[in-house]
Amino acid sequence: MDPTTPRIIAAAAFALFAGVAGAPAHAQGGGSQGTIRIGATLPLTGAEARIGGFYKEGYDYAFELQNKKGGVKVGDKTMKVELLLLDDTSTQATAVNLADRLINSEKVNFLLGTYATNLVEAQSAAAEQNQMLYVNGGGAASAIYKRGYKWVFGLLAPVELLAESMMKWIDEQQKAGKLPKPSKIALLWENTSHGKDFRRGVSDFAKKSGGGYDVVVDESFELNGKDFSALLGKVKAANVDMFLADAHLPDYITMHRQYVTSGMCQKVLSYGARGSEKQAAEALGKKNVEYILSAVWWSPLLAHKNKMAGEFVDGFKKKYGHEPEWYQALGYETARALFTAIEQAASLDKDKVRAKLVAMKIPSILPGGELTFPSEFGQQSHAPFVVQQNQPDGSAPIIAPAESATGKGVAPNPNCAK
Amino acid sequence: MERFTELVVAAVLLAGLYATMAYGLGIIYGVLRIVNLNHGGVIMAGAYLGWVMHERLGIDPYLSIPIVMVFSFLLGILVYRVLVRHLPRGAAGGVQSLLLLFGVWLVLRNVAYLLFTGNDQTIRTEYSTRSIVAFGLALSVNRVAVFVIAVLMLIALHLFLTRTFTGKAIRAVAQNADSCTLVGVDVERIYALTFAIGTALAGLAGLLGAMLFSFNPSYGSSDLLKSFVIVVLGGLGSVVGTAAASLILALVEVFAILALPAYLTGAVGFVLLVLVLVIRPGGLFGQRVLG
Amino acid sequence: MKLLPHWVSRSALAALVVALAIGAVLPSLFGWSVYTRNQVTETMLFVAAALAWNWMGGYLGQVSFGHSAMFGIGGFISARLLLAVHVPFWSAWIVGGVVAALYALLWGHPTLRLRGPYFSIATIGVGEATRLVMTYWEDLTGGSSGLSLRIVPGLKSELYYWGLALLALVIGASYALRKSTFGLGLLAIKSDVDAAGDVGISPTLMQDVVLLLSGFTVGLTGAFYASYQSYIEPGDMFGFDRSISFVLMAVIGGVGTIIGPALGAVIFVILRQYLIASYPQLYLGIYGVLLIVVILFEPLGMVGLAYRIARRLHLLRPDTEAKLEMKAAVGGAAASPEVREGGGG
Repeated sequence: MDPTTPRIIAAAAFALFAGVAGAPAHAQGGGSQGTIRIGATLPLTGAEARIGGFYKEGYDYAFELQNKKGGVKVGDKTMKVELLLLDDTSTQATAVNLADRLINSEKVNFLLGTYATNLVEAQSAAAEQNQMLYVNGGGAASAIYKRGYKWVFGLLAPVELLAESMMKWIDEQQKAGKLPKPSKIALLWENTSHGKDFRRGVSDFAKKSGGGYDVVVDESFELNGKDFSALLGKVKAANVDMFLADAHLPDYITMHRQYVTSGMCQKVLSYGARGSEKQAAEALGKKNVEYILSAVWWSPLLAHKNKMAGEFVDGFKKKYGHEPEWYQALGYETARALFTAIEQAASLDKDKVRAKLVAMKIPSILPGGELTFPSEFGQQSHAPFVVQQNQPDGSAPIIAPAESATGKGVAPNPNCAK
Repeated sequence: MERFTELVVAAVLLAGLYATMAYGLGIIYGVLRIVNLNHGGVIMAGAYLGWVMHERLGIDPYLSIPIVMVFSFLLGILVYRVLVRHLPRGAAGGVQSLLLLFGVWLVLRNVAYLLFTGNDQTIRTEYSTRSIVAFGLALSVNRVAVFVIAVLMLIALHLFLTRTFTGKAIRAVAQNADSCTLVGVDVERIYALTFAIGTALAGLAGLLGAMLFSFNPSYGSSDLLKSFVIVVLGGLGSVVGTAAASLILALVEVFAILALPAYLTGAVGFVLLVLVLVIRPGGLFGQRVLG
Repeated sequence: MKLLPHWVSRSALAALVVALAIGAVLPSLFGWSVYTRNQVTETMLFVAAALAWNWMGGYLGQVSFGHSAMFGIGGFISARLLLAVHVPFWSAWIVGGVVAALYALLWGHPTLRLRGPYFSIATIGVGEATRLVMTYWEDLTGGSSGLSLRIVPGLKSELYYWGLALLALVIGASYALRKSTFGLGLLAIKSDVDAAGDVGISPTLMQDVVLLLSGFTVGLTGAFYASYQSYIEPGDMFGFDRSISFVLMAVIGGVGTIIGPALGAVIFVILRQYLIASYPQLYLGIYGVLLIVVILFEPLGMVGLAYRIARRLHLLRPDTEAKLEMKAAVGGAAASPEVREGGGG
C-alpha cells in the first residue's frame, strides 16, 4: 500500500479547504461609508422558526422606521442603519459560528441578539470573547447575565420575575380570602433555563410567604415531551389548589389537552408565558382555556395606557396588517435601544456606546414605561411583566400590574365547581 | 388503589400502540434480518399524512387509516425495490442496512421539514378532549380508540400469518429462505411484501400516535428504540410475545414515575434497552421463529 | 538504526511532519482572518473526533451511534475542573478524556459482545440515556443552563496550534492502530472474531483497548470544544445529532480507512459553510443521500472514490492494487466473509 497517496489526498483536501475557507474573508470588510452595519442572527428555520420570523418583523420595522427618519444621528452626521441578518437555524453551533463570521469576517459595528435562551447564551459568549457589543431581546435566563460579561445587554426580564409577578397577583387574591391559605401548588417546569428560572421564582416566593404556599409537587419534564399523563396523574393524586407550569407552546397544548381529558381543574391554572395564544384556543377549544393565567414581557393591550406602545402598535399594524405580540415588540425595542445609545454617544466607538447603554434610562414601550440595564442584575432589564387571564368572552385583559391593567382577574376558577 | 388502577389502565392503553409499532420493526427483522432504522421516519410520515389529510381535506383521522396504511405500504415497496434489495442478506448486511436505512430516515426528516416546517403539529378534532368513564376513571376517547384499533390490527395480522398462504409463506421464509425457493415460493416477492407490511404498520402507528401526541419532523426516534426493546424482549413475529413485551415496557414506563423524578422516566426505555440487549444478547433473534 | 518500529513507513512520517509544519505557518502564509482560523480549528477538532470514532466504527467494525456521550463527558468534566481549580487547560482536557474513556469502558465492555446492528442500537440507547441523565444532573453539567468558562483573551488563537498538535497525534495514532501488530490483530477480529480467538488473539482485551482509546480521544475533543466555545450545555454536547455527525463524517469519508474520516469531516464542514447561506435546512437530507450512495456504491466512501479515480488514471502501482482489493475485502463496512460466500439467510 502506497502510504503517500492518502497523505497527498489529505494534504490536498486541507489546502483546498483552507483556500475555500479563506475566500469569504476577503470579500466584505468595510462596507459603504455612511451606514452603520449591525449584525444579527435569528432562527428563521428550525425549531424556533415561527418566533424567529416574528423577531425579524420587529427588527425590520425598527430599522425601517429609523431610516425613514434619515438614520441615526452620530454627532453631526446622520448615518443609515443596515441590518445584516443571518439564519442560525435554531442551532447553537451555527449561531456561534455566524456570530464569529459577522464579527471577524463581515466586521459589523454592533450585534443584535438572536432568540432562544440557549442560542443567546452561546452566542453572547462569542461576542464577549471578541469584545463586541451584544444587545439582545431574546434571552431571558438570568444565567446569561450572571457571568460578569461587560458587552452583553438584555431587554428580556428574567423568568423568575415572571413567576414573581404572577405570584404577587395570586397573593393578593389569597389575602382577599379568595384562595385557601395555605394553598397547595403543583409546579411543573420544562427542563430548560427558562423552566428552571420559573421554578426558582415560584419556590422562592413560596418560601418567603411564610406558610402561605406549599409546593407539594415539583417536577421537571423534557422539552417536547409527548406523554404527560403519568405526570398529570401524580398531580391529580396530590389534590392541589394551584397548577403552575412553564412550557413552550407545543408542550402547553399537549399537556393541557391531557389535563382537560383527565377531568382535572384547579383553582388557579397557569402555563407560564403561554395561555393567551389564539393558536392554543383553536387547538384546545375556547372553553378549555378559560381563566388560564399567563404573564408576558409585553402585550398590545399596553397601548391603552402607554402612549409609546400605542404608537408602536398602530404603526406596526399599518405595515404588517396584524397586531404585534411580545416577540415583535421586543425585537423592535432592542434595535431602538441600540440606536438610542449610538445617538447618545454621538459616536460609533464601542466603549462610548457601551457606557451609554450602562447608564440608559429612556421611556419605553415595555411595561413600567422605562428601559434600563441595571448593573446589579448583570445588565439585564428588570421591567415588570404583565399578567393576563383568559376570559370567557375570548379576551385576555391585563390584570396586573395595576398601572397597566385593563381588566380584573378572577380567582378561584369558576369552572371548577368543586 | 385508584392510583394503581389508573396507572395500570394507562399502561395497557399505551401498550396497544407500542405493540403495533414494534411489530412493524420485528416482522422486517424476522424475515429479512434487516434492522429498519427508517422505522422512526415512517412513523413520522404516517403522522404527517394523517395530519395533512385532516387539515387540508377535512378527513377524520380514524377514517384515513386505510389511506395511510396503503401509502406506507407503497412507500415500503419503493424503499425495498430501489434500495434495500441491493444489500447482501444475512448477518453481513447488518451494519450496512442500518446505515442505509438511517440515510433514508435523514432524507425523510428533511423532506418533512421542507414541506411542513419544524413546528410541532397536533391533530385536533372535536373529540380530542372528550373522555369516557370506565373503571371509575376518566379515559381519553382517543386513547381507548387507539387501543382498540391496535388490538384489532394485531389480531388481523395473526390471522393473516397463520391462516393465509402468503402469511405462511412469510413465516417459512423467516425460517429458511433457501428451502422456500426449492418449494417454489418467490422469496424476493415475500421480502418485498414483508418489508411493505412492516412499513405499513409503522405508518399506522405514526397516525395513531398523532392522535395522542404532538409531533414534528424529529418524531419517531424514541419510538424506534422502544420498538427495539419490545422486539428483543418479546421475540420476533410472535404476536403474543410482542403484546406481552409491549405491556411490560408500558408498565415499567408508567410506574417509573413512582420511583423516579418525572424527567428521568424518559431514560427508562433506553436503559431497559441496553440491559435487555446485554443480558439476552443477539442469539435470541436467531432462534425464535414466527408463530 | 532502529528508532522506529518496523511498520512505520519513513515517507508517511515525513509527510506528517511536513503537513504539520505547513499547518503551523498557514495562517500567516495565507493571511487568514480570525474567522477562517477559527473555522479551521473547529474542523481539526471534528477531524480528530471522526478519526477516533473510526477506530471503533471502522477498525473494529462496531458502529456507534452514541459517541456524543464521551464527547459530552469529556467536555463537562474538563469545564468543571477549570471552573473549580486553576490548572492549565490541557491538563483538564486530559482528565476529561480519561473519565470519558472509563465511561466508554463501563458501557462498552458488556455491549461489545453484541454483534453488528445490535451493538449499534444499544449505543443509541446509551447515548440518549446519558443525555437525559446528564441534563438532569445539574451539579455536574449545570443542567439545561450549561456551564460558562472564564473568557480568556487570545485563547482561541492559541487553540489553533493546540488543534494542530492534537490532529497530528490522532492521525499518528490512527496510522499506528492500523499498521502495527496490534492493528493486524484488529483486522483479524473484524474478519472473524472466533478464528482470531483461536490463534491466540484476545478479542475482548483488544476491543477494550480500542474502546478506551476512542473514548479518551473523543472525550478530549469534547474538552477542547468546551475551552474553544467557553460555553457548553448538555443538549448540544450529548445530542443525538452530534453522535450522528461522527458517523456521517467517518462513513462518507471512508470508514475503516486511515484518512477517510478526515476527508469526511472536511467535507462536512465545507458543505455546512455553503449550505448555511442558501439552503440551511438541507444538510440533513444531503448527508442522508450521501450516506445512501456511499453504502450502495462505494463502501470506502470518498477515499474509495479517490482510489477508483487514481486507478482509472493509472496512478497506482499493481501491487498496491492487489493490496487495495484485500483492504476492500476486510476494510470497508460493506464487505465481510459471509458476503463472499454468497449470502443467504
